[in-house]
Amino acid sequence: MKFTLSRRQLLVGFGGVASWLMAQPIAQAAKTAVKKVFVSTQAPKGYDPFKHKWLMCIDADRCIGCGACVEACKTENHVPSESMYFRTWIERYIIKKPAAGSGDARGEVLVDSPNGGRGGFPPSMVPRTDILKAFFVPKLCNLCEKSPCTQACPVGATFDSPDGAVLVDPNYCIGCGFCIQACPYGCRFLNPETHTADKCSLCYHRITRELKPACVEVCPGQARIFGDLKNPVENDPLQAFIRKNKVQALKPNLGTDPRVLYANIDKEVR
Amino acid sequence: MTPLKLPPQILRLVLLTVTILGSYGVMRHMLRPASFGEYGHYRGAALEEIAARPPTYAGMKACNECHSDIVQKVAKFEHKTVACEACHGPGREHAKDPDVKNAKLNDRLCLRCHEVDEARPAWLKQIAEKSHFRGDRCVDCHVPHQPKETP
Repeated sequence: MKFTLSRRQLLVGFGGVASWLMAQPIAQAAKTAVKKVFVSTQAPKGYDPFKHKWLMCIDADRCIGCGACVEACKTENHVPSESMYFRTWIERYIIKKPAAGSGDARGEVLVDSPNGGRGGFPPSMVPRTDILKAFFVPKLCNLCEKSPCTQACPVGATFDSPDGAVLVDPNYCIGCGFCIQACPYGCRFLNPETHTADKCSLCYHRITRELKPACVEVCPGQARIFGDLKNPVENDPLQAFIRKNKVQALKPNLGTDPRVLYANIDKEVR
Repeated sequence: MTPLKLPPQILRLVLLTVTILGSYGVMRHMLRPASFGEYGHYRGAALEEIAARPPTYAGMKACNECHSDIVQKVAKFEHKTVACEACHGPGREHAKDPDVKNAKLNDRLCLRCHEVDEARPAWLKQIAEKSHFRGDRCVDCHVPHQPKETP
């Protein structure tokens, strides 16, 4: 059978395609208008990401390893409960005494984080007499200014927001996992429910509502100090903390320029 | 004067280029989300979408609205740095509807912070559960809101 197309049919076809294309923007506009009226997003009004710049400081001396932050983060952000998915977790560093006569300043370094520190830590297997020193370090997304994860994303689904948070757009992420490999701090994971990359969002839904991130809210020792550099409050705890302490970033040699700064940590912490 | 006439092979090339560029333009228009590139190489609307999720933890301010007496009392004692929801759990549901009660607390919660551990800083009061005198429950001897007082 021979397929023929008359001039009339061709013109009608072209006209149809053209009018369909022209109708697209109008349909889109109508759709968003309808959505705005009928679907309440509960999005906070009046938050301008350009008028804030968030920073988190962590005082390892104040961390008691209770795991309240891990628990709160999982609840607040619906992180899967399995022990390999964390947006924040606590590490326990145990530095052993050096062997007698070895001439070393410190011995073996043991780092553990059973279930991310959720619900507290079981007693350590290392006898007390063998320990030179030990401490807890809470970990989370380092909120890099020059974030390797953002550079690795092939579709533009992860991005540095203007207020300093590094976010994942779950509706645009294709779940390729490049960003998970790119993160030098191991702060990302592939969410098994959404099949997209997931990470600390600095509780973006909370900070836009003038609430503290969940981990900061529940930390009983106030090991996490969180604040806005563009809008310092009166007696700002963040400013006071930076003034009083020597703060440092993790892995500064990578040039990621993190917005999470640590105080009172040892050189073993990475 | 003869009118300018393109050789057919050039004409075909021009048509092909126009078709390819045109279809690229149409596909870009159709596939690219509306707010892409608003602030940078990402969907601008994503910021609002991520922020739209409702919080689970209400924050001290919400607790203070009804329980300001307890909040003020706790602020005078050792547990002043401990937020309500650190022990009592997420309270947004309770804040919205006071009939929804938060979970009951147990001794594990005290031990989560106060059980002895080499890595815990020295300023924190710690006990070894095995050797510490025990009644039935921690709260038999200690008042969580005012740790210095006895019941």
